[in-house]
Amino acid sequence: MLIFTLRRLSLFVFTMLLLTMLSFSLSFLFPGDAVINLSGAINVTPAQLIELKARYHTDSNIIWQYIIYLKHIISGDLGLSMASQSVISHEIMNLLPATIELSLVALFIAMFIGIPLGFIAAIRHNKLSDNIILSVSMIGYSIPVFWLGLLAILIFSINLGWFPSAGQISLLFEIELVTGIQFIDILLSDSPYKWQAFRDATAHIVLPAFVIAIAPTTIFIRLSRTSMIEVLQTSYIRAASAKGLSFKQIIFRHAIRNALIKIIRHVGLQFASLVTIAMVTEVIFSWPGIGRWLIVSIAQRDYTAIQNGLLVLSCFIFVVHILTDFIYAALNPLARDKKYGT
Amino acid sequence: MARNKIYLEEVFPSPFMQLWLIFRKTPVAMAGFSCFIFLIILSIFSPLLAPYSPIEGQLDMLLLPPAWHSDGNVSYLLGTDELGRDMLSRLMYGTSLTFGLSFVVVIISSVVGVIIGSLSALTTGMKSSFLNHFLDVILSIPSLLLAIIIVAILGPGISNTVWAVVMVLIPQFVHITRYAVKEEFRKDYVLASRLDGASPVRILYYSIFPNIVDRIMSQATMAQSAAILDIATLGFLGLGAQIPMPEWGATLANGLDLFYIAPWTVYLPGLAILFSVVSTNLVGEGIRHALKLRKEG
Repeated sequence: MLIFTLRRLSLFVFTMLLLTMLSFSLSFLFPGDAVINLSGAINVTPAQLIELKARYHTDSNIIWQYIIYLKHIISGDLGLSMASQSVISHEIMNLLPATIELSLVALFIAMFIGIPLGFIAAIRHNKLSDNIILSVSMIGYSIPVFWLGLLAILIFSINLGWFPSAGQISLLFEIELVTGIQFIDILLSDSPYKWQAFRDATAHIVLPAFVIAIAPTTIFIRLSRTSMIEVLQTSYIRAASAKGLSFKQIIFRHAIRNALIKIIRHVGLQFASLVTIAMVTEVIFSWPGIGRWLIVSIAQRDYTAIQNGLLVLSCFIFVVHILTDFIYAALNPLARDKKYGT
Repeated sequence: MARNKIYLEEVFPSPFMQLWLIFRKTPVAMAGFSCFIFLIILSIFSPLLAPYSPIEGQLDMLLLPPAWHSDGNVSYLLGTDELGRDMLSRLMYGTSLTFGLSFVVVIISSVVGVIIGSLSALTTGMKSSFLNHFLDVILSIPSLLLAIIIVAILGPGISNTVWAVVMVLIPQFVHITRYAVKEEFRKDYVLASRLDGASPVRILYYSIFPNIVDRIMSQATMAQSAAILDIATLGFLGLGAQIPMPEWGATLANGLDLFYIAPWTVYLPGLAILFSVVSTNLVGEGIRHALKLRKEG
């Protein structure tokens, strides 16, 4: 396990270096002066520009500039947003938790619906229910997510009026920002309307979370179906049924555990695509997350914001990736010995 | 009685023909395939088939509902949008933008990807290991996110979107070709032609490609459905096709303000996207199913 950890840590450091290098080179790829792209200070006087150039060491060679850039990132200085001139690191700290909250809720919905359905399809392999589940799942991953979001708003918020269509919580509730994750903040606050606020926040998250969850759910259905079919064909399942265990016992005691382990490995990869879907969904549901902010920044050509938003978002995805690798290795001793890249 | 065949000759269909013979027997896959052909024809001939211009509007025909609605007009079959542009014509022209462009994108990226992939399969050692790790990192980034990043660098616009999606899809083709070629190279028939003195390039062209083309096609259908969704999503977000273009995602975004008054301007382009992605996926499923049957049979 120690070697596994070390190997993952070295991969982490290597990828972080690559990502920061990419982000650093973006400031040269974007139109305009690299220093202004990095700092986001667009309305500077010539004197201030000289000071900025000194701060980013533009006169020295490119490797030294990169090291200085790394220092800036580590100290939390991500520059100013070109569009609003606000401090980017503060904005990201406010926005990222909302995205994390939304995508985690969606991930859990997808897992809780998708995995059992996939198991059912695998157990009833090649029968009617298997075919129905498969065809529905195919439609599920073919639907464009923005269209699905709009239909959900039309049906559930406009026609039926069950759920609110936009935002994270009703503006009536004043919740102090502590962690940024709305549910935790509500529970921490000492407002007398805590539970109303909690219910309101739940109503707000239902629609976007389900819309995001549709596509990953179908992926989980397919993943769990294939892994369950594989497990059911192994010899230990045959041994268990030869021992005289009932079908129910085989499924619940042996098959599900072994099938689940294989699925956990894919959660990290699925999370990456889930975050992308979440970015689009945030735009539709006006969710105050980093995805919407990033897309608005691209439309406004706010290069400093694009650069840092991408850096933070890809770091976040990568951290989740590594975390699921760890969970998988902790659960499955077989995975620890595998050499990376063989 | 005339006999055309005097000698009983055993015919071995090529791997590709075998696949087609199995594929033909699945009705669902064939239905998807005919829809796919229909979309291709539509995307080529839409300027001839479409009844109206997709950009010029009739100012006396604003927001006409589809023909089956009681206020509808049969000469505007699917209604009009807020500028009096015929929805049917817009959708038909949009086919060549969203579906046709994604088809072109997949062809370009598959050609580039297959070339890089088969060349890299011939290399060994350090270069090959580096490429493997690099591909692993690229493949773990979702295609839409990567496309958004590239569009952010290049700037919004339909041509930039196309290049972004091409670049995003290439690594998948490299990966699958590399893997397939390496697998085939281990087989005996390749060894036989190598003993005959064939050069690696000749083996690649005459022995290996006929045997891996079906796997590349299966990947191509997956890539195509991803490409349609990516182009439409970028268009919807305002990063892809710009305003008067009838690209499906952009048309949908355009109808957003009138969503409640004129829902057809939103649900029709969405249905078009759904239809094209579903038929592409049906073809892909058919190919994968046929591949599985051929392996077993």
